[in-house]
Amino acid sequence: MELRIEQIGTGEREEILIRCHEVTDQVREIAAFIKSRQGSLSGTAEQKQYEIAVADLCYIESVDGRTFLYTSNRVYESAYRIYELEEMLKSKHFLRISKAMLVNLMKIQSIQPAFNGRFTANLRSGEKIIISRSYVKALKAALKGE
Amino acid sequence: MEFKRFLVNKLILFFMLSTLITVAVALLGTAFDSQARLGYDSLLAPVKYAGLCLLPTLVTWSRHELSVKQLLLRKVLMLVLLETVILLIGYTSPVIDTDRLEVVLALAGSVLLIFALANLFQWLRASAEAKELNRELARFQDQHG
Repeated sequence: MELRIEQIGTGEREEILIRCHEVTDQVREIAAFIKSRQGSLSGTAEQKQYEIAVADLCYIESVDGRTFLYTSNRVYESAYRIYELEEMLKSKHFLRISKAMLVNLMKIQSIQPAFNGRFTANLRSGEKIIISRSYVKALKAALKGE
Repeated sequence: MEFKRFLVNKLILFFMLSTLITVAVALLGTAFDSQARLGYDSLLAPVKYAGLCLLPTLVTWSRHELSVKQLLLRKVLMLVLLETVILLIGYTSPVIDTDRLEVVLALAGSVLLIFALANLFQWLRASAEAKELNRELARFQDQHG
């Protein structure tokens, strides 16, 4: 496989593109490594410990004092409290959208109005989550980079 | 919801209601009592009615965020209270002929219509806000993706 690194201007978007004939285990391994470089979190599922790339997380929810990490196809339990994760993931585009939920802004496909000043975030995974009205202002500020 | 934001929303609703009530009074008056001549004090009627109609909307206030079910229930209660307020105004007003069933039905119907329109306008406002959020989101993802 040929490796090419191209330097681009600061105004352009950085990206890593893997061009391959087939998505083999080796390609998946490279992708997993790149994602892990963007940070990872430990989580448990079916009594097994996993390292989940932060970039793969769609949202994080706290239910009855337990914290769950949601990817597009699995749920893991985290030992961290939601406020700890909020602090840890601030720089990774995660934002609190309700008392019990953090969302990965990069995983939101669209936003639509819900009842009473609330909004629904349609995630790329197909799930819909509620953006509480008291967090809408913070969402606007985060999107504007304020 | 912060009480301040709640009050701002109520103020917006007040102006919206004043306009819609003015339109409703004009239409109902033309339909049922087109020969009537009104004084300057009549100009204040929509404002007074809008103010009175605002009182039942206070039932939707809650310090905590209401669930969809709770909100729907409160909206129904609000509509019942609104109908009661308007019909009370109608029955106590000397200029509204509440002996005619069609007048009472038109009054009740106009409340329902204004209620539906006010909710529709609020929805449209939220839709415009969502559109803006989607634009910002696309820009954000493009910038950080």
